[in-house]
Amino acid sequence: MKIIDKIVLWARLKSPWILHFNTGACNACDIEIIAALTPRFDLERFGVQLKGTPRHADILVCSGPVTRQIRDRLVRIYEQMAEPKFVIAVGSCATSGGVFEGLYNVQGGIDQVIPVDAYIPGCPASPQAIIDGVVKLIKKLEGAA
Amino acid sequence: MLSALFNILIFPGLFFLSFLGTTAEYIDRKLYARFQNRVGPPWFQPVADLIKLFAKSEVIPEEADPVMFRVVPLVALAATVTAFLYIPIWGTEALYYFKGDLIVIIYLLTLPTFTFFLGGWYSRSLYATIGAIRSVTQLFAYEIPLLLAVLAPALLANTWSLSEMTEYYTVHPWYWLFNLVGFGVALIALLGKLERVPFDSPEAETEIVAGSFTEYSGRFLGWFRWAIDVEAVVGASLLAAVFLPFGLSLWPPLVFGLYLLKILFILCLLTLARTVMARLRIDQMIDFCWRILAPVAFFQLIFDLIIKELIL
Repeated sequence: MKIIDKIVLWARLKSPWILHFNTGACNACDIEIIAALTPRFDLERFGVQLKGTPRHADILVCSGPVTRQIRDRLVRIYEQMAEPKFVIAVGSCATSGGVFEGLYNVQGGIDQVIPVDAYIPGCPASPQAIIDGVVKLIKKLEGAA
Repeated sequence: MLSALFNILIFPGLFFLSFLGTTAEYIDRKLYARFQNRVGPPWFQPVADLIKLFAKSEVIPEEADPVMFRVVPLVALAATVTAFLYIPIWGTEALYYFKGDLIVIIYLLTLPTFTFFLGGWYSRSLYATIGAIRSVTQLFAYEIPLLLAVLAPALLANTWSLSEMTEYYTVHPWYWLFNLVGFGVALIALLGKLERVPFDSPEAETEIVAGSFTEYSGRFLGWFRWAIDVEAVVGASLLAAVFLPFGLSLWPPLVFGLYLLKILFILCLLTLARTVMARLRIDQMIDFCWRILAPVAFFQLIFDLIIKELIL
């Protein structure tokens, strides 16, 4: 691996900017994601910043099952992000559809619509679990390169 | 030729300024975190952010103007780096100076705000347009107090050249104390120029996503962040040269160290303001700047005139 690729990989791992998107969650996972971003856990230690626009973000943090109504919006948000981009599914519903599996208005988990890089189970997933999931994603990227 | 290139690219040009700028951003974010009882980012964070942005692919919206969208961030960076060449840092003389360079510096520091406007405007996105218009509206509010506050010490020194001004204040060592009110005004105006928190409505992420930068990604966003980092250092250097011109006749390396301490002091004040204050609405900001800040700057100007005519 060339030295420039090493530097780029290092920078990528040290500066994950996230975008939070609710694809139809009951709000419990959203509250836990917000809790993970509070000063108590201080994710800025690892360079994590919450961004408002998909253009700036590297990681799309999705919560909840994909409803049929939000499906097109989720795809559009995903396509608005610049490469390289990663997706994290937070909570049981986001990983598989959860208790909403098979409902007439629900498509299923996030991976039914867009590729997912990390799954964080839990109902709701606790802030510690979410941080652990992000760390595991970063480890995976480190190992893959 | 070679020395000019060295001056432009290495010291005190692009490389040195980028180093100072990223350090300033780190100090700002770390202090902000410590004020909030957090640990804060590691020392390499701003550099890692920039490298990551430059390595990302960029998306240019179909509706955006492809040329302006690409050129505007570079203009922002070029303007701020050029302004620095006229500011004295290791003595009383800047690298380049002529009569009236103070106005040129202020003009060059206005350019980034216009590039924020143009970048947002040519993105053709609703949030970006709102952010762009807010940043120009804000420009009309803070620019007048800043110019008046910076002109007061110039009036006292009877020159429009920054290098001649610092020379005047070295010959008359305690005269800078007359301008402390102007220093306060300029500091608040600088907060507006840098779009820092009490005056950050142009990029208020809780209401208009990211303002002018909403559609910017990858490299182009990187140029903008780089320009903003550099702008903070150049703005602080301008204030240090105009309002804190003491100890400039010492040994040059000592003067340089003193200069670093001065801009550190100014940057800490800016961070303190960011921590203790909440965002002002755009109309409140303009109200404040025109009703309070501009009259105070006028007072400083008249005060300097009276002192100059009656006492000195």
